[in-house]
Amino acid sequence: MATATFPPPPPFYRLYKDYIENPKSAPEPPPPIEGTYVCFASSYTTDDVLPSLEEQGVRQLYPKGPNVDFKKELRSLNRELQLHILELADVLVERPSQYARRVEDISLIFKNLHHLLNSLRPHQARATLIHILELQIQRRKQAVEDIKRQREEAQKLLKEALGTLAGQ
Amino acid sequence: MDIISQLQEQVNQIAGLTFNTFGTLQRDAPSARLSQNYPEPPPNPTEDAASFPEQPKQMSAALVKAAKQFDALVAALPLSEGGEEAQLKRIAELQAENDAVGQELQRQLEAAVGSLSNGTSPAKQQQRIEF
Repeated sequence: MATATFPPPPPFYRLYKDYIENPKSAPEPPPPIEGTYVCFASSYTTDDVLPSLEEQGVRQLYPKGPNVDFKKELRSLNRELQLHILELADVLVERPSQYARRVEDISLIFKNLHHLLNSLRPHQARATLIHILELQIQRRKQAVEDIKRQREEAQKLLKEALGTLAGQ
Repeated sequence: MDIISQLQEQVNQIAGLTFNTFGTLQRDAPSARLSQNYPEPPPNPTEDAASFPEQPKQMSAALVKAAKQFDALVAALPLSEGGEEAQLKRIAELQAENDAVGQELQRQLEAAVGSLSNGTSPAKQQQRIEF
């Protein structure tokens, strides 16, 4: 009961004793980590890239190459999935002990489907960026137009005021 | 929800329908006669026999509907640009245009503040620029 249930905070706070008088007497914050790091005994990587299917040990069903036609591949994978489901139903009726191979095929198709969808995400991010830039350009142009118009009106009012004053 | 998340949800829904279909049919199917040597299977309890023939039809209809929904979502994907390079080029163009428009905006702002502050003190002018 006399022992603390939680560990004490790390003792670095003592280093910042004179921070108010002399901000340079205390250590700088640590620089951002690059590469891989270990957190709570599991290792993470700072490089956010989607691992390819081969790295996860899964066979890739759609053709590789620089530009994959996503719509076509998604549609053909969907059709293959339906066919495999029908095959599984058939196998269960006629040869029930051979279900495992069919179930593996179906899960392979699902993994490919999800990997395709995940690899669409960078494209989506770039499209979002393009959209935001376009919106910003539009807003800035609008602001330029507004300012020009207001300046011209202000000039006009000033000239009129000068004119009425001078007329008097 | 954005279209890619919708597509992912649809894939998971198809998976769920698939294993629910097979699981339910396997669990609730009435006994089948394996061979002529064995006697007729015992009669089914009434609850199964009543709604049983509709279950495969309903479930397969749901599966087909989910698959069609997936195809509709795929058709709705806005994959207009041709590849990563085209997108990156467009981003560079937009950035350049954004910079140009930004400089124009800055010039207009300074001119406006300058014309406003003719006749006011430098302190008030500084106030306006900070705002």
